[in-house]
Amino acid sequence: MDPEPNNNTASGSGNPKDESALKAPSKDPKKKDDKKDEDLSEEDLALKQQLELYVERAQDADQGLQKVALESMRQEIRTSTSSMTSVPKPLKFLRPHYGTLKSYYETMPDSDLKKLLADILSVLALTMSAEGDRESLKYRLLGSEGDIGSWGHEYVRNLAGEIAQEYSKRVNEESTVDDLIELVEQIVAFHMKHNAEPEAVDLLMEVEFLDLLVKHVDKANYKRTCLYLTSSARYLPGPDDMSVLDIAYTIYKQFEEYPSALQIALYLDNMQHVKQVFTSCPDLLRKKQFCYILARQGLSFELDEEMCADDEDREALQEIINNTKLSEGYLTLARDIEVMEPKSPEDIYKAHLLDGRTSAGASVDSARQNLSATFVNAFVNAGFGQDKLMTVASEASGGGSSNWLFKNKDHGKASAAASLGMIDLWDVDTGLAQLDKYFHSNDNHVIAGALLGVGIVNCGIKNDCDPALALLADYLDKEDSSIRIGAITGLGFAYAGTQNEQIRDKLTPILGDPKAPLDVIAFTAIALGLVYVGSCNEEVAQAIIFALMDRSESDLGEPLTRLLPLGLGLLYLGKQDSVEATAEVSKTFNEKIRKYCDMTLLSCAYAGTGNVLKVQHFLGQCAQHFEKGETFQGPAVLGIAMVAMAEELGLDMAIRSLEHLLQYGEQNIRKAVPLALGLLCISNPKVHVMDTLSRLSHDADTEVAMSAVISLGLIGAGTNNARIAGMLRNLSSYYYKEASLLFCVRIAQGFVHMGKGLLTLAPYHSERFLLSPTALAGLVVLLHACLDMKTIILGKYHYVLYFVVLAMQPRMLLTVDENLKPLSVPVRVGQAVDVVGQAGRPKTITGFQTHSTPVLLAAGDRAELATEKYIPLSPILEGFVILKENPDYREEA
Amino acid sequence: MTAWARALFTTHIICNKPGPIHSLHITLRRFPLTLRSKPVSRLSLPFPPSNHKNTRLSPVPATSNNPKLAAIMPTVSVKWQKELYPAVEIDTTQPPYVFKGQLYDLTGVPPERQKIMMKGGILKDDSDWSKLGLKEGQKLMMVGTADEIVKAPEKGTVFMEDLPEEEQVIAVGHSAGLFNLGNTCYMNSTMQCLHSVPELKSALIEYPQSGRSNELDQTSHLLTVATRDLFNELDKNVKPVTPMQFWMVLRKKYPQFGQLHNGSFMQQDAEECWTQILYTLSQALRSPSISVNLDTVKELFGIDFTSRVHCAESGEESMETETIYSLKCHISHEVNHLHEGLKHGLKSELEKASPALGRSAVYLKDSRINGLPKYLTIQFVRFFWKRESNQKAKILRKVDYPLELDIFDLCSDDLRKKLETPRQMLRDEDGRKAGLKLKQKSTSSVDSDVKMSDAAEPSNGSGESSKATLGEGIASDKNVQLTGVYDLVAVLTHKGRSADSGHYVSWVKQENGKWIQFDDDNPILQREEDITKLSGGGDWHMAYICMYKARTFPV
Repeated sequence: MDPEPNNNTASGSGNPKDESALKAPSKDPKKKDDKKDEDLSEEDLALKQQLELYVERAQDADQGLQKVALESMRQEIRTSTSSMTSVPKPLKFLRPHYGTLKSYYETMPDSDLKKLLADILSVLALTMSAEGDRESLKYRLLGSEGDIGSWGHEYVRNLAGEIAQEYSKRVNEESTVDDLIELVEQIVAFHMKHNAEPEAVDLLMEVEFLDLLVKHVDKANYKRTCLYLTSSARYLPGPDDMSVLDIAYTIYKQFEEYPSALQIALYLDNMQHVKQVFTSCPDLLRKKQFCYILARQGLSFELDEEMCADDEDREALQEIINNTKLSEGYLTLARDIEVMEPKSPEDIYKAHLLDGRTSAGASVDSARQNLSATFVNAFVNAGFGQDKLMTVASEASGGGSSNWLFKNKDHGKASAAASLGMIDLWDVDTGLAQLDKYFHSNDNHVIAGALLGVGIVNCGIKNDCDPALALLADYLDKEDSSIRIGAITGLGFAYAGTQNEQIRDKLTPILGDPKAPLDVIAFTAIALGLVYVGSCNEEVAQAIIFALMDRSESDLGEPLTRLLPLGLGLLYLGKQDSVEATAEVSKTFNEKIRKYCDMTLLSCAYAGTGNVLKVQHFLGQCAQHFEKGETFQGPAVLGIAMVAMAEELGLDMAIRSLEHLLQYGEQNIRKAVPLALGLLCISNPKVHVMDTLSRLSHDADTEVAMSAVISLGLIGAGTNNARIAGMLRNLSSYYYKEASLLFCVRIAQGFVHMGKGLLTLAPYHSERFLLSPTALAGLVVLLHACLDMKTIILGKYHYVLYFVVLAMQPRMLLTVDENLKPLSVPVRVGQAVDVVGQAGRPKTITGFQTHSTPVLLAAGDRAELATEKYIPLSPILEGFVILKENPDYREEA
Repeated sequence: MTAWARALFTTHIICNKPGPIHSLHITLRRFPLTLRSKPVSRLSLPFPPSNHKNTRLSPVPATSNNPKLAAIMPTVSVKWQKELYPAVEIDTTQPPYVFKGQLYDLTGVPPERQKIMMKGGILKDDSDWSKLGLKEGQKLMMVGTADEIVKAPEKGTVFMEDLPEEEQVIAVGHSAGLFNLGNTCYMNSTMQCLHSVPELKSALIEYPQSGRSNELDQTSHLLTVATRDLFNELDKNVKPVTPMQFWMVLRKKYPQFGQLHNGSFMQQDAEECWTQILYTLSQALRSPSISVNLDTVKELFGIDFTSRVHCAESGEESMETETIYSLKCHISHEVNHLHEGLKHGLKSELEKASPALGRSAVYLKDSRINGLPKYLTIQFVRFFWKRESNQKAKILRKVDYPLELDIFDLCSDDLRKKLETPRQMLRDEDGRKAGLKLKQKSTSSVDSDVKMSDAAEPSNGSGESSKATLGEGIASDKNVQLTGVYDLVAVLTHKGRSADSGHYVSWVKQENGKWIQFDDDNPILQREEDITKLSGGGDWHMAYICMYKARTFPV
């Protein structure tokens, strides 16, 4: 305790004249003599003494004097708190008196003055109160409830922190929080007015009262607020993230920022919201943009009259959702970039760059090499409608295509026929015409391939006439199992994500058919999983579960059986807790498949959530060591990637964790690690991952090497990345004698040059915000198949490679005018910058170049219009974007 | 549908084809559908007559002007591939195949290949229109083409995976490797080198299994047979071959290869193995009964030498001739290149009894090549007996060797004269083939010293006519001439510090021009420029025996 107060009290008491002195404290000469602290400047010393005087007077019996003293003190504090670099002087000098004032406060009778003192104490507590005492808040609540901002920013921030603590304490004690909420409202209002949206959002999240936010956003700050909300949602545990996004959706809708609202609705997978967006937006052109967004997500969505009253307009909109123009847009891009010329596998292998080390001139056809050429040809020319192997037919007499087709052996012919579907990808009319002649072949493999091809052509495209269903349905009950698989998988591709009941009715009986061979059942489960991806459909789940239970002991040991749990898992893709009931049922399965099923279900259910606990769970599973024969660790490793791929931070951590698994894991883990890396960095060739995979591609264990090679292809998929291309070329000469590894290298080369570099496999789009469930499902099926390369991809089920078609999308920005005709405008394309929570209007891209549309976007790229002439109807420039003329635009003279 | 029926419809087809003329739709609407569909049903053969009758009997009015009846004839648009046929009327009173006939007119797709889809399913031939709920203006989609149905080619593709192994060899482009039976890499690499001589193989094939001539001992015969069998095996397989039989016979014939050390076979000198095998083969393949040629091995590998032995002291001089199977490249401090080593080898000193002096004297022996073989074998004398350490030591010195070797300046004057014309022709040919470019390239090539010696002597034999045809050793192919220029075809290398240790490997050029490194059972593709890097000077594989093949010029 300071001894001075006593003196002060003695000298100050009963001297009302001092009032005038109080108002001009610096002029008081008498106090200067008392200086003890040499470090203080004269001015500071004066202030200090002045404040000491106020403290003394504040405890005066005279109410008037008290009031003056307190008000002066407040004045002093308020005028100085604006500087935040250090503890403000008045606060510093008042610190020694904090205890005095506190104890005096207790003795005071209730009055305005007491409240005034409480206010001051509250501010003083900012620096004085011990950690956890929350005295600042306590006195604030006791105080006068005046304008909170008048005490400065730092005070508000501190208060917010204390509120959060107090709130959780009170919630635990189940006591009322109304007074806190009142305060919160004040603070939020203050923050929102002062460009501190993140703080406001944080506080509201702490007190679980985000709804309040809607009242306080305005035109100036809603964008930043929502940006913060959406990006913080990724790090929140459920169900908070959902409520946060709900708020963001409400705000966006309130400010008629419909495309953003729609994206959030899609993220939430909330069809009700999607519908609302359509019904609340009156503008047809904007609705068209919504349709493009829906089409990119790969959603099947039926517009009704409420959403668009006019029949003709609705048809036009539905056409966009049905993706019928995707092929056209893609070809526009290809023509603009001038890559229409078909490429042959040799153009990709570039064997001439490998002097002498390639396999000696093959005079005889090798079935495996021809098969790889078929795939490479299909991937490279995907969607272009022309190639150098399959479609050259019509001109050459006798048909070159049938020649190439029959240069494949047995089941290879299926993949070759299906490759036509890949070449005519998205172009249903041409594709079906091309495939038609193969339906009448007398070779079952060819028919199977044609059926699969129909599925591939229709992938992501919807048509009122349902050609895929009409064509494929007849073949579902054929005797030959390859034809059946072709038809089943084709349906899976064509109707992925549609939840089409007709398909379900046709496919579920197959699962229960005791005579159906295992492979047919496995692919039926996958097809159903694709059609009902992320739907949690009970009936389908039941059917698959029964199919799994019906398997004999020996069937359960087959690698193909593992596709059944995967089909089940796909039903719950990204649906988190909804899987629990099914997971419980899976515990009753035969122990051979139980663990595998458990891992698969979990990994699918939490895919794309970034749930750290699940990642830890999977890591824990991988840490166990078994003698041999355990297979469930493969899906566990993939699960790490599936869960962690949600956001960049978790992704980097997952990559590091996977490195550890490589060092300590057993073979069955090691072979899954490259695949997990491939999924994490799909179509995004990060250099360090590339190096890791390059190292693993020379691994002594063939299976690890094979996964690494395939993953090299996956991370470079559709990028034409020269470095990966070079690596793969060298690998092709390194493994020229090992047919299986060479096959993998070829496939990887096909991936890297997929669509001649115009495609991406990334399931995330719209600035990495939205996850397309069908795309992820396709990738996951492929990766699971890669877990047992030998029996599936190198065996006779190589057509599972076509599952990537579900994830294939052009990585373009195509701007169209109001009539949906391509419109070339200058755009800046550069590396995206994270601007969340940054002040002002920071630049969103860096290191940009200016191009004119259509333009290719690499992973992590962002585009912005470089002209004011047009206004984009979507804030995110990706895929198809409609441009509207800017009415305010003035041509510069 | 027959051709004449098609012809009948041409008028319809023309007016029905969608085109820029807008009035066309009107025509379509005005024409009663029955008129268009009727003939189809009447003329098209696929439709059973009973149905046909039904359609005729059905009360179809002659015109569709009646609004009441128009209701049952909805107009639909049909999409086929990229084309849209906007107004096609359907007579719902008739079965769907009539409609298909209409579409046949439009598209030329035979009805049996048409698949017509609408919202709600596929249109079957026996579908009932009323149940399909067809609406006016509905969009239908037709899939199907008139394309030829794909048929498998008459002759199925043959796949490498299905081929028997011997045929796969051709596809793979090199022959099989040989398993190491315990320090037998010297033997494996020797055999791989010899295996690359096709003439030797063909000579062996002619060797009779039983017809052993009397001069030949049993073991030599067996070894020859074993060699033949081994070569045969190598040609037939893609997977490595186990040379067990050959290995046993070899040990029998030459027991020194069966030496044991610590219970396992010892590493041996590949050169010794090479010499011994060739010696045996030359014995075996000599017998006149086999072929007209006297000595196949000599013909292929034998190098005729004429040596002038001169004694400086006494002035005595004598000429000697001899046939050897390999040239030695002695390595001394001055030798950096194969050619220098070979030249050193031609001059030697020897001490022998001089009849003139009656005592032993130093003679100078100066040798020249007088007859060239088809395959020139050159041994780098890298191993010598080191007394101090009592083992064969190895000279690690780097001695470069070229891919193309010219030994013109090692030849005797007689031989040079004979070689002159073919060489001139070869040069002309080269010049013609590659133009100036090749000449520049060849002069800048590694063996420039050889070229220089070449250039110094062209005038020497210019007068020689082409009658100088064949050298003594050249007989097998009567229509080719040797030129003294040789191309590297096989290198046997040694890696390690002494002859009895380390590892032998052979590098053999295949017929397709690729180099294969035969490391026991593992054949590895190599690049040509890596072959010349085996010249020593480090711990890498270094050439021990090189085999060159003569570049011949056809007459």
